[in-house]
Amino acid sequence: MENKPIFTIDNLTVTYGQTVALENINLTVNRHAVTALIGPSGCGKSTFIRCLNRMNDLIPDCHVDGCICLGDEPCHHEDYDVISLRKRVGMVFQKPNPFPMTIFDNVAYGPRCQGIKNKAVLRDIVENALKQAALHDEVKDRLDTSALELSGGQQQRLCIARALAMEPEVLLMDEPTSALDPIATQKIENLISDLKKRYSIIIVTHSMQQAARISDYTAFFYMGKLIEYGKTDLIFSLPKHKQTEDYITGRFG
Amino acid sequence: MYKKRNMLDGLAKGFTYLGALTATFFLGIILYFIMANGLGRFNLALLTSDYHAQYFNGRPLRFEACETCERPDDLSDDILYAPQYGLGLSDTRDRGGNTVIQVTYMHPDSPLHNLVNTNNLNQPVTIAIDTVITRISYTDHPTSLTRRGAASMISDLESGATIYEVSFSTVGGGIRGSLITTLILIGLTLAMVMPLGIATAIYLCELAPINRVTSTLRSLIETLTGVPSIIYGLLGISVFVPLTIRLNLTRGPSLIAGAMTLTVILLPVVIRTTEEALKTIPKDYRLASLALGANTTQTVGKVVLPNAIPGIMTAVFLAIGRIIGESAALIFVLGTAVKDQVRIQENSTSLAVHIWSMMTDEPANIELSSTIALLILIVVLILNIGVKLTVHQLKRKTG
Repeated sequence: MENKPIFTIDNLTVTYGQTVALENINLTVNRHAVTALIGPSGCGKSTFIRCLNRMNDLIPDCHVDGCICLGDEPCHHEDYDVISLRKRVGMVFQKPNPFPMTIFDNVAYGPRCQGIKNKAVLRDIVENALKQAALHDEVKDRLDTSALELSGGQQQRLCIARALAMEPEVLLMDEPTSALDPIATQKIENLISDLKKRYSIIIVTHSMQQAARISDYTAFFYMGKLIEYGKTDLIFSLPKHKQTEDYITGRFG
Repeated sequence: MYKKRNMLDGLAKGFTYLGALTATFFLGIILYFIMANGLGRFNLALLTSDYHAQYFNGRPLRFEACETCERPDDLSDDILYAPQYGLGLSDTRDRGGNTVIQVTYMHPDSPLHNLVNTNNLNQPVTIAIDTVITRISYTDHPTSLTRRGAASMISDLESGATIYEVSFSTVGGGIRGSLITTLILIGLTLAMVMPLGIATAIYLCELAPINRVTSTLRSLIETLTGVPSIIYGLLGISVFVPLTIRLNLTRGPSLIAGAMTLTVILLPVVIRTTEEALKTIPKDYRLASLALGANTTQTVGKVVLPNAIPGIMTAVFLAIGRIIGESAALIFVLGTAVKDQVRIQENSTSLAVHIWSMMTDEPANIELSSTIALLILIVVLILNIGVKLTVHQLKRKTG
């Protein structure tokens, strides 16, 4: 079980109307590891990550072909309950987006939507999630204040805690530090390294250094195609493709 | 070049100032007109009393002149006083502007407190302060009449004559009925229009597929906002009034039909305002909620709607303002006859229609109209402040 990949993607092609956003992607994402997706803007990495929890369902003319398996179950088609998929695959967005509620209510939002009403249970879940997101010490005395009063970095960690409260198997992160300062970024990076013991993490990033620092595997996307995928140290030291080398050395274009 | 640009700038500013000044000037004039005509009669009694005067004929069971009813020292010099009856009278004008004799003071021991109804000797009637005396007839003296004035009536009373019968009436001209009608209309209409409007807005904004049907629907709703209300009145008289009659609820124009018509008038307003409020809520919130495994209903109920409450409050405020101000449509479906006993299955008048009724009277009653207008302005002002405060509070609560 431990060695089995968490996601197996076969022949994934995504189109928006006439535009092809992703073409023929084949990829296996490993369990309890950090997988970084890099590539220039518009290369399809965000589209890819959104396929994994089917946020693309919300875009009217988006069409997904191919097969995505979560563990052994194909999860990309309508038959698979999207809500239970999103329970298993949490997501953190580029801009910190806590709800305009108290810190407690933010973290308890997901469990409450699943019908958990018991206050003691909720308190345990919230405390646990905040601890995992390394936010508990900073906010434990003001759980009843608005989440919007937190700093940007704290807000992003709150969003991570909110996702963790659902006890997902996978955590998708779409450029989670691009709106944060270096110190807040470092805290989140440390957090990611801690979290990979319990979760499988897939992170989209624009920062080569970040990918090199925190990820175990790296996938390089370009123009809707997966150019190269492998262990991070290999990709960064011995890229097989010219495009990958050009991109990671900054000689692109 | 530089000079020319400055000149144009100055010219444009001048026009802006002129426009603002003109607008303020006219608003000021309207306010002044309403204040000057209406403020004088604006009091609590107006709001709580009946519009239609009630007429009584009363007579004393046995007559005794009052021996303790001396003129009190602190009684105003304007009040004419008859010590034998403990009755103080003044010449005034009623709310319709006619000269009347009004009771302005009554001694506690006055025998006129205890009269019986001439038509039914078992029923006691009483003369109170503000009662209008229209006629006093005596067993041994010519009748006193309104047109001879208060002084003549006092001298008749003081001549030692024995009262046979007093004809008197309540003041009337109050707007209690119209006020209650307006409040009921607000309640009924909001109860219908808010759920319908909010549901439609949520459908259009959150659930509806983006296609030609929904965009047509949206532009239809936009168009309905601009339809003159008299046309909605026609709709009301040709659909809602017959419908309520068919359902055996009413026998003609009624508050129910009025509230239904107002609901149709307000639907586009409520839908649009709510939709605007929903649109301002960041898409991020919806995505975050959905990504946490919430379904659409939970997302709308827990994240979208709570944040839209300030906007929805604005919709409520706009709706109430429109209900209070609407007259053209209601003339058909609500009626124009002022009522004191309001029932929702019967016709009556709202405050705005009351103004219409007063102004179509012969002669037009500008003073009462202005007083009602003043009341409407005050209510709208209070509503406005109330909504601002609520929105402010809500915003502070959610940060």
